[in-house]
Amino acid sequence: MKKHRGIKMLYLILMLIFLYAPILTLMVLSFNASKSRSKWGGFTLDWYISLVEDGAIISAFKTTLIIAFLSAFIATILGTAACIGMQTMRRKFRRLILAITNIPMLNADIVTGVSLMLLFIAARMTMGFKTVLLAHITFNIPYVILSVMPRFKQLNRNTYEAALDLGASPIYAFFRVTLPDLMPAIFSGFLMSFTMSLDDFIITHFTKGAGFDTLSTKIYSEVKKGIKPEIYALSTLMFAAVLLLLWLVNYHPWTRRKNDGANKKKFRALPGAAAVIVTVLCVSGLLSGCGSSAAADYSNPNSLFIYNAGEYIDPDLLTEFEDETGINVVYDEFETLEIMYPKVESGAAKYDLICPSDYMIEKMKDNDLLQPINIDNIPNLKNIGESYWETARSFDPENKYAVPYCWGTVGILYNKTMVDEPVDSWSILWNEKYKDQILMQDSVRDAMMVALKSLGYSANTTDEKELREATELLKKQKPLVQAYVVDQVRDKMIGNEAALGVIYSGEAIFTKRENPDLDYVVPKEGSNIWLDCWVMPKSAKHIENAEKFLNFLSRPDIAYRNFDYITYSTPNTAARELIPDEDIRNSEIAFPDLTKMSDLETYSFLGEKEDRYLNSLWREVKAH
Amino acid sequence: MNKKSRLLTGPYLIWSIGFIIIPLFIVLFEAFTGDNGLFTLKYVTDITWFVNLKSLGLSLVFSFISTALCLLLAYPLAMILAEFGKGRSSITVLVFILPMWMNSLLRTIAWQNILERNGVINGMLTALHLPALYIINKPPAIVLGMVYDFLPFMVLPIYNAVSRIDRDVINAARDLGANGVQTLFRVIWPMSLPGVISGITMVFVPSLTTFVISDILGGGKILLIGNIIEQMFTQDSDWHAGSGLSVVLMIFIVISMIIEEKYDSDQTTVTKRERRTN
Repeated sequence: MKKHRGIKMLYLILMLIFLYAPILTLMVLSFNASKSRSKWGGFTLDWYISLVEDGAIISAFKTTLIIAFLSAFIATILGTAACIGMQTMRRKFRRLILAITNIPMLNADIVTGVSLMLLFIAARMTMGFKTVLLAHITFNIPYVILSVMPRFKQLNRNTYEAALDLGASPIYAFFRVTLPDLMPAIFSGFLMSFTMSLDDFIITHFTKGAGFDTLSTKIYSEVKKGIKPEIYALSTLMFAAVLLLLWLVNYHPWTRRKNDGANKKKFRALPGAAAVIVTVLCVSGLLSGCGSSAAADYSNPNSLFIYNAGEYIDPDLLTEFEDETGINVVYDEFETLEIMYPKVESGAAKYDLICPSDYMIEKMKDNDLLQPINIDNIPNLKNIGESYWETARSFDPENKYAVPYCWGTVGILYNKTMVDEPVDSWSILWNEKYKDQILMQDSVRDAMMVALKSLGYSANTTDEKELREATELLKKQKPLVQAYVVDQVRDKMIGNEAALGVIYSGEAIFTKRENPDLDYVVPKEGSNIWLDCWVMPKSAKHIENAEKFLNFLSRPDIAYRNFDYITYSTPNTAARELIPDEDIRNSEIAFPDLTKMSDLETYSFLGEKEDRYLNSLWREVKAH
Repeated sequence: MNKKSRLLTGPYLIWSIGFIIIPLFIVLFEAFTGDNGLFTLKYVTDITWFVNLKSLGLSLVFSFISTALCLLLAYPLAMILAEFGKGRSSITVLVFILPMWMNSLLRTIAWQNILERNGVINGMLTALHLPALYIINKPPAIVLGMVYDFLPFMVLPIYNAVSRIDRDVINAARDLGANGVQTLFRVIWPMSLPGVISGITMVFVPSLTTFVISDILGGGKILLIGNIIEQMFTQDSDWHAGSGLSVVLMIFIVISMIIEEKYDSDQTTVTKRERRTN
């Protein structure tokens, strides 16, 4: 077996390259001065500096560690105990338990997540730390059992029996003979649980409540709007910490001397040291974590719970509002409106202000989920232009429920160096010349709108024949499409990955700033004009605080700063006057002359049945 | 270990009833009832729709391929690790599961960067005047992502099993005239089977049910059954339909469980026989 050492080394090295290539990529990105991940903008340490100041990321990181450690620890104890107990059970019964154990592992994470969510709702538990911890323990135990059980099968019972014959008590014999033999398996079970918990996204996503985030849910909410480079920096640091830990345990002279003995000892030293360090990390996290978990208490009258899309407000403004008013803001982000809706509907999470789009507001209003906002209590709303109130009337006829926040159009972003002909029509997205160069929006309404508009139909049609025609048109387009994405259109266009992309006007200013070759156009066949507004759910309790917040946001200086940060068009006319750059203030992209654009439609809520029908058509396109 | 030790299973048993069995019944309930609360088979039979059937087929194909690839890559790796790592086994193995400490969403996103049109690989290929490689948003990229994400789950259990094999058994086989290949297939492989089975379970199932990998590396152009179920819950908020398809998926999972269970019990008899001959 000593032969072929060279080949074996080579194989190990190749596998290491395979496993570490993405990690190296992430590390490089953490030093990239450009915010876009497909462009190298020079070396910087800025992200590491801003990471320390980013309270949201740091607290998500601490929560992740605490949950991972506690759940892995509890799961290891429960799982190992279960394995020991099963050894003397009848085969049939043992099989049954193992089959149950397999369920959370074998089931789709999403089903496990949803089933637990349904359970927690039925048990009337508040979603938060507790529910996430329970869920994590549940999916961690199988990893412990699956790691420890095979070891039991290979265990030599003779040594244990010999120990008994030599006068050891069963418990003593177990701890001195069996357990050391099991230790590597138990440790790998613990390690696997810890890792699984660190990594889990889906189950956490369904069982978490307001103002609670682990690193994964934080990252996912950022995938939509582009990942903050601080996340890369944090991952790099975490990785470095793990490497340091490994080095300490294995090569530090202090541990090394101890390990000179038998092999097994090293296995015992390793989990011990790992556990100590992780515990220290977790305790420090727990101490600082207490403050924030107390703050997420909805019954506190001096607080305000906000639910917004990802990266859709300047975070400095939230701090400023807190400083000005002394109100404690709990800010939470949703990935899509479709994910937000059931959470609000089921009452699983309580909020005072939510920021959905037009058609969703209509749906929430129709389903009696909203309460009217008293506009008289919010003097700064006079800064919102009349034309936006009018647009809002298409889904809120009396301007009772919705306060305009941001608006824009849907259009084509294109790269002037890669497209020869003038871009003014949706039909260019069907041009064979741009095969694999086209990015489409991965959203039912937007994709359907593009097809319907190019056929000359309304974006709100429910006519089955027209919808069928649009579906076939999208199917025809599919071979030309490079990818169906949401906010990645932005990064990919900046990185010259594609020639044409369907995008929201709000992203156009930002992308043009990063890559001057890009330009944005609203096609002549017409498009969607959308309006995002603040609404107050029926269950909101902090009404006065919410009014204060809306008043604050509508102050011209604040609204201007917010616009500068998120680059989505503001309906605040006073704020628009404050924009120093004339090109942007009068930009056709940010503030198009709506009178010149004849065929801009807002989406309206088509009804639940119709929505599901549209979704099924869209799945048909994507599975085509 | 006396009979009292059975009680140790108690806490876990209660836990699994509360957090596994009951939630599962809630899902079953959702799958077999309609909006009106009456029994229906409609949601379970939705699987026969062309779109659903196609994505289930794709999921099965992709997860078979990625499980096979994982096994092919992991088995030699586990053996080499077990052989090389005698003095320092724990650290060598840890080096191979370390990548899992980077968040998996991030690692998958990193693959996007590597495979993209202007990505790392194509940058290198162009520098070497080789033709560019376009696998992003195509099936190979998804399989690659699955293999990458789930490989450690295959390596660990196999390594655990292989490193437990008594060197004397292998030496005995060689002394009795078996060559390297014979030793591998007649001695090492059968003895490592419990680890292999556990590894296959740990890779096959997440590959079959993933939706994140196909989302990020498939460019939304390839729908797996996981994507469909995810969309049923998040976009349609149609818990009945989502639960119905989940129940269908669980049938496939149960089938694979039964197959694995069969292998598993065969293996137990082998080891029993061995023990007796010892």
